[in-house]
Amino acid sequence: MLGVERRFDLDLAVLEKTHRELSRALHPDRYTQAGASERRAALDKAASVNEAWRTVRDPIKRAEALFRAHGIAVGENHEPKATPAFLMEVLEEREALAEARAAKDLVKVRAIGAAMEARKVAIEKKLTQGFETATDQANITKLTPLLGELRFYRRFLDEVNAIEEENE
Amino acid sequence: MTLLEIFDPKAAPRAIGIDLGTTNSLVAYVKNERPIAIQDCNQHALLPSAVHYGDRGDVLVGADALLRAAEHPRDTIVSVKRFMGRGADDPETRRMGPYAFVSPKAGEANVVRFDVRERVVTPVEVSAEILRALKRLAEDELRSVGGVVITVPAYFDDAQRQATKDAGRLAGLDVLRLLNEPTAAALAYGLEKKQNGTFAVFDLGGGTFDITILVLDDGVFQVKSTGGDSALGGDDMDRALAEELFMLAQRDAKAASPTEVRVVLDVARQVKHNLTDALEVEVENPLGKEPASFVITRARFDELVAPLLARAGTACKRALRDAETKPVELDGVILVGGSTRVPAVREYVAKLFGKAPLGDIDPDEVVALGAAVQANILAGQSTGDEVLLLDVIPLSLGIEVGGGVVDRVLPRNTITPAAARASYTTQEDKQTGFEIHVVQGERELAADCRSLARFTLKGIPPMAAGMARLEVTFRVDADGLLAVHAREERTGIEQTVEVKPSYGLDDETVEQMLIDAIDHGEADLLARRLAEAKTEAHRIGTSTQKSIDEGGDLLEPGERARIEAALSALSEATSGTDPRKVQLRIDDLDAATKDFAGRRMNRAIAQAIQGQRLDSVERTVEHAKGIELAHGAPLPPPPASR
Repeated sequence: MLGVERRFDLDLAVLEKTHRELSRALHPDRYTQAGASERRAALDKAASVNEAWRTVRDPIKRAEALFRAHGIAVGENHEPKATPAFLMEVLEEREALAEARAAKDLVKVRAIGAAMEARKVAIEKKLTQGFETATDQANITKLTPLLGELRFYRRFLDEVNAIEEENE
Repeated sequence: MTLLEIFDPKAAPRAIGIDLGTTNSLVAYVKNERPIAIQDCNQHALLPSAVHYGDRGDVLVGADALLRAAEHPRDTIVSVKRFMGRGADDPETRRMGPYAFVSPKAGEANVVRFDVRERVVTPVEVSAEILRALKRLAEDELRSVGGVVITVPAYFDDAQRQATKDAGRLAGLDVLRLLNEPTAAALAYGLEKKQNGTFAVFDLGGGTFDITILVLDDGVFQVKSTGGDSALGGDDMDRALAEELFMLAQRDAKAASPTEVRVVLDVARQVKHNLTDALEVEVENPLGKEPASFVITRARFDELVAPLLARAGTACKRALRDAETKPVELDGVILVGGSTRVPAVREYVAKLFGKAPLGDIDPDEVVALGAAVQANILAGQSTGDEVLLLDVIPLSLGIEVGGGVVDRVLPRNTITPAAARASYTTQEDKQTGFEIHVVQGERELAADCRSLARFTLKGIPPMAAGMARLEVTFRVDADGLLAVHAREERTGIEQTVEVKPSYGLDDETVEQMLIDAIDHGEADLLARRLAEAKTEAHRIGTSTQKSIDEGGDLLEPGERARIEAALSALSEATSGTDPRKVQLRIDDLDAATKDFAGRRMNRAIAQAIQGQRLDSVERTVEHAKGIELAHGAPLPPPPASR
């Protein structure tokens, strides 16, 4: 996709550079002395470029964009429901986190967070491989449950951060 | 300054930078490629942000106004910045200062109104007085003042930014840009010339704390994250020290009279200042004879401010996390604000970030100096390599959906300019309108966020719930100001709202204030309009000519002739006396160059990413546009009473 290919494991450092170069060319500050039409055109393009960058740098949005590019609808209402096994696991992790929080056990909280982080990375790897090997829509559709998992890990890690913050 | 400069009656307008602060304000400009603060006749650059309204309709600004604050507390407005963009009904408002407030009449904008000497003034007007005083100061030095950059705290919300811009307009200034204070500080340090890297700006002022993480890469400054505490500053250090003084004097602070509290706070501030250089200070007992005096050591003061610094530390850690940056990855820390002179603050910063902070520019002046640098760049007066700032929005922007929950459309720390779309649907069967409530903040419920605007979209044919498809577009420009556009896809009914903040003044009100502010009213205003329109016409004419010269190969057959016709029509209008006619011709030229401008932008993109495949980038941009469309939450109908 951005600048290069439709894949999940993009080199964000390179893309960040591209984003800066585009910003340098398009930012409204470059057009303060220009006419209104040119200023507006620059503003529109700069906003679009920022939007694109926002999409590719966020793993969840990036994955969503990839699914959509293959004509697959995503969003909480379109994706398959999580499996009972996954829900069970999730429930246990949440309980463990709640306990650690109640006990103000910051070490435990961090350990749970680190484990979750590792699982998030593993899912991202799976997505990378998935998008590399799957070529047809049917096979790519099979990857959509991973997106739900990724969203869950994101929320979970946000909570871990919040707990760390309140105990600092 | 040479004689020639002094006597040159046609001195070119110079761009200036203004730090419109809570406690002090100042103005700076770039002289010989270095920013300097402009001093008054007493060699003071800092103008206290105080405005006194006299009994004969006279207005005093600065130190003279401050002198009258004790005697006329109601008629002397200090720290007006805290009231900018606040609602008259805001519970915070009435607790801030000894002022007499006037409730807005029916139909009037819901903004704070002060009652001073039988006149009613808004914070925008009070701020405009300060800006006018700074403008006069600059005119004394430069003869002619051009565009201005005014700084605002990074955490300022939309209403507060709009109010600041209105104050600039009211003061007769051509506001080129609102610039975030931390970014200005980084510019003042000229970091762009030295190195690439990641920097933290630690800004501890009189009443607020701000932390910003920014990255510098080949002349592009990018704000990664911003945070802070809007109720933490040097005043809190004074209070902590004052409590200590009460304790040493064996007096109960709660039982003290307001005058005693004032006296002790003043002593505390003096002690704080003295402890910057001294390790201990002996103070006379301000509250009695027993004991006659006491000694405050710096070590004790450090203990007293430790809890305050811990609060700043929490905000710093959050900002680092948002920026995905570790302290060791920082290449430098910049200190801003008078309170960073306190040694304990410097030590704390050094420990927190693991490196000694940069503090060689006066922390009271650094923001104004940076604003001057940016004004110089925007006015095209800069000669050096150009610097570009990529700023972010400080607070998330969203829409209230069913159940009072906020749907975030643009999350905080999104780079500006920004645009995003979200789609919604109807909550009830046969709903014929939408109530669109725009809010700003990080909380889940709209009631806990700040309300920016409310509007309704009506006239949609009755359909079953969930059938209508409302697309809402948010656009934030480089000043951080928001515009919202809503469109119902099935019927094509649409509406655009410049977010007229729930707590702001509308354009007509500002216009009327502008007329009132000028001695000869409308005639003068017309003359000023004409002058402004002519300047604008000249600027646009020149730049259009330049575009045609540079990109002539992009013009389609007949296009050049159309643009040139519009150019000469504009030039003809500028020799007349009607500013509206000039504006009309500007609009015509604008229409004639629209497509050409789009092609020029595409070429700019192509040049920027030379070596990379343009088509794929464009695809991504197209792609990203589809991304935000998946919300689909229902919105309630407007209340039946409307």
